[in-house]
Amino acid sequence: MTNNFNENKLLEAVAILNAKVLGLILGLILGFIIFFITIWIVLKGPQLSPSGQYVMGPHLQLLSQFFIGYSVSYIGSIVGFVYGFAFGTIFGTLIGWIYNKIVVLKQKS
Amino acid sequence: MNTETNSNKESLDNQVVIIGAGPAGLTAGYELLKEGIHSTVVEKDNVVGGLSRTVNYNGYHFDIGGHRFFTKVQVVDDMWHEVLGDDFLTRSRLSRIFYNNKFFNYPFNLTNALFGLGIWNSIMIVISYLWAQVFPQKPEKTFDQWVSNRFGRRLYKIFFETYTEKVWGIPCNEISAEWAAQRIKGLSLLKAIKNTLIKEQTGNKQLVVKTLIDSFKYPKYGPGMMWEKVTDILNRDGSRVLLNSDVSKIYINNNRVEKIEIIENGNSKDISGNNFISSMPIRELIQKFDPPVPDEILKTANDLKYRDFLTVSLVVKKKDVFPDNWIYIHDPKVEVGRIQNFKNWSKDMVPSEEKTCLGLEYFCFEGDGLWSMDDKDLIELGKKELQQTGLVDASLVEDGTVVRMPKAYPVYDSTYLESVNTIRKYLNDIGNLQLIGRNGMHKYNNQDHSMLTAMLAVKNILGANYDLWKVNADQEYHEEISKDEVTDFKALSSTQPLVPETVTQSPVDIAIIRAFARLDKLAFAISIGAVAGMAIFLATLILILKGGNVIGPNLNLLGQYFIGYTVSIKGAFIGFGYSFLWGFIFGWLFAYLRNFFTGLYILRIKKKTEYSSFKDFIDYI
Repeated sequence: MTNNFNENKLLEAVAILNAKVLGLILGLILGFIIFFITIWIVLKGPQLSPSGQYVMGPHLQLLSQFFIGYSVSYIGSIVGFVYGFAFGTIFGTLIGWIYNKIVVLKQKS
Repeated sequence: MNTETNSNKESLDNQVVIIGAGPAGLTAGYELLKEGIHSTVVEKDNVVGGLSRTVNYNGYHFDIGGHRFFTKVQVVDDMWHEVLGDDFLTRSRLSRIFYNNKFFNYPFNLTNALFGLGIWNSIMIVISYLWAQVFPQKPEKTFDQWVSNRFGRRLYKIFFETYTEKVWGIPCNEISAEWAAQRIKGLSLLKAIKNTLIKEQTGNKQLVVKTLIDSFKYPKYGPGMMWEKVTDILNRDGSRVLLNSDVSKIYINNNRVEKIEIIENGNSKDISGNNFISSMPIRELIQKFDPPVPDEILKTANDLKYRDFLTVSLVVKKKDVFPDNWIYIHDPKVEVGRIQNFKNWSKDMVPSEEKTCLGLEYFCFEGDGLWSMDDKDLIELGKKELQQTGLVDASLVEDGTVVRMPKAYPVYDSTYLESVNTIRKYLNDIGNLQLIGRNGMHKYNNQDHSMLTAMLAVKNILGANYDLWKVNADQEYHEEISKDEVTDFKALSSTQPLVPETVTQSPVDIAIIRAFARLDKLAFAISIGAVAGMAIFLATLILILKGGNVIGPNLNLLGQYFIGYTVSIKGAFIGFGYSFLWGFIFGWLFAYLRNFFTGLYILRIKKKTEYSSFKDFIDYI
């Protein structure tokens, strides 16, 4: 009886996400991506732009439009990590929260 | 403290009465003796050992069914070694299935089965298996449907139908599917996943299965030797084992058993005590209460059913007949279900090297045609069937005897659980009576499990408070016992046939269910879509707020993919829409694939488990 009970539970169960954990994971992933990409570009050094000037990671630098204080530099990598972590955490938590709300709503209905 | 314990033991001495001298009853007596408490064991038969007895017929020893000694419970194993010492042999195992004049490996080996059955049968088996997988019979109500759905109709017909019907005496289409699901505990999906995930556990299990398949322990002169030795110890050290003593009445007074009345060699005698342990069949126990139990309880007890069993033991003038310990006979043309070759269990079971002793096992109901047949006719039937199978030339049989064993198997029919529960509730009020053993608890226990219930009953008499019914039914219970005992109980649980369980979930089960629960595709798609949409919406707004000559030239490039998108208020909404759409598609696909591959993983484990339970399926019947 317990076996059947558990087996049915297993086959019918719908996952409920842990929003905080999901947020933490996404935050860490996004934070580290920005951190390592920034470090990688800094280590590669300045690149020749079409205008003939040497610039450091011109495309990545665009992140500074959203992440105030960010730059393609060693310090910028730390700043980028913090921003990435913050945004990732918010997005992850939001995904988990919305998902759970919908699942609960569906189960209620 | 010690003084208190000693005075408690003194007050118990000669005050414990045990009904039944089978493995459970004698274990109780033995454990009490180890505590310095003498007891009285009453047995209605003239031999000890119950179903685990060994019969000695003119020097030929034979079992009532074969009894492999195997346990994962250390305390039980210790007792076996303690009592038997050097007489405890390790034997290698060989048991095969005899069908259509051919031998098939048991535990099953699919390749061996397919080769043995021939090309045509093999093709049909594969086709019927695939058919069952694609078009399973629904609803799955009966045993034959349950087995066919898992292994295919053809394989079921060949290997499962005849033997199951022989053992239980009920057509397979009248046995409930639930019974099969309960009996075949190996098919628990959750357990299979757990074992796959927890490597150590899987490793142990494999070791155990391998041990059971390859070898087992066995007393030199059969299992009865163990119980005869225990009886000798009890009688030698001051306890009493009374044979030919049939319990005729159990006197109840103020919700306590006051005394029992036994009929010994035609004379009645009362035996009083403070504590009573019973391993006699529940049905008989209830019938003997004085004053009688309420009609409703009596009726419930009478509803409990048993399958009985008889062995026709034949002495054959031949040194070697076949190498197996026992053979399952699946041939529907003969009634014999299993043939034991006791010489292959232990060479000491047979007095002459030139001869063999075979035990032909017939499953029956007390009073039916087989049961009521004369011994002479049964021996003739055995000889005829031996000849018919072609295993032995009947003319080589020089002697034979018959042993009938009533109530060998408690029947798990549709009402037994309710009946047992009702009786349990009623007996709960009788404070000094404990039920132990296979028939004592109407549980399809192995010998080791019966012994353990006896050991716990003794601990209860000494002041512990174990609920014997919960030994392997309620996992939570194990945690209340000391660490060493927990290991024993848990280990025991996995060796036992399934017993009624309450609906409980262990934390591990809950964790597995959570880990393998499916993602809700729609919910996941919406949540990813919403967050992606929001991200683009906010990014666009931020750039608008920042302003400048050219607003957000780089984000504007999104317009190449999101037609109509610009970094503007209107564009923020368009961007939200596009991002939501792509996020939705991504989220849905992710959830779908995640569920698909998780399902595939579970299916793989399920099929693997089904195959492994197919291999030793007969052990569960």
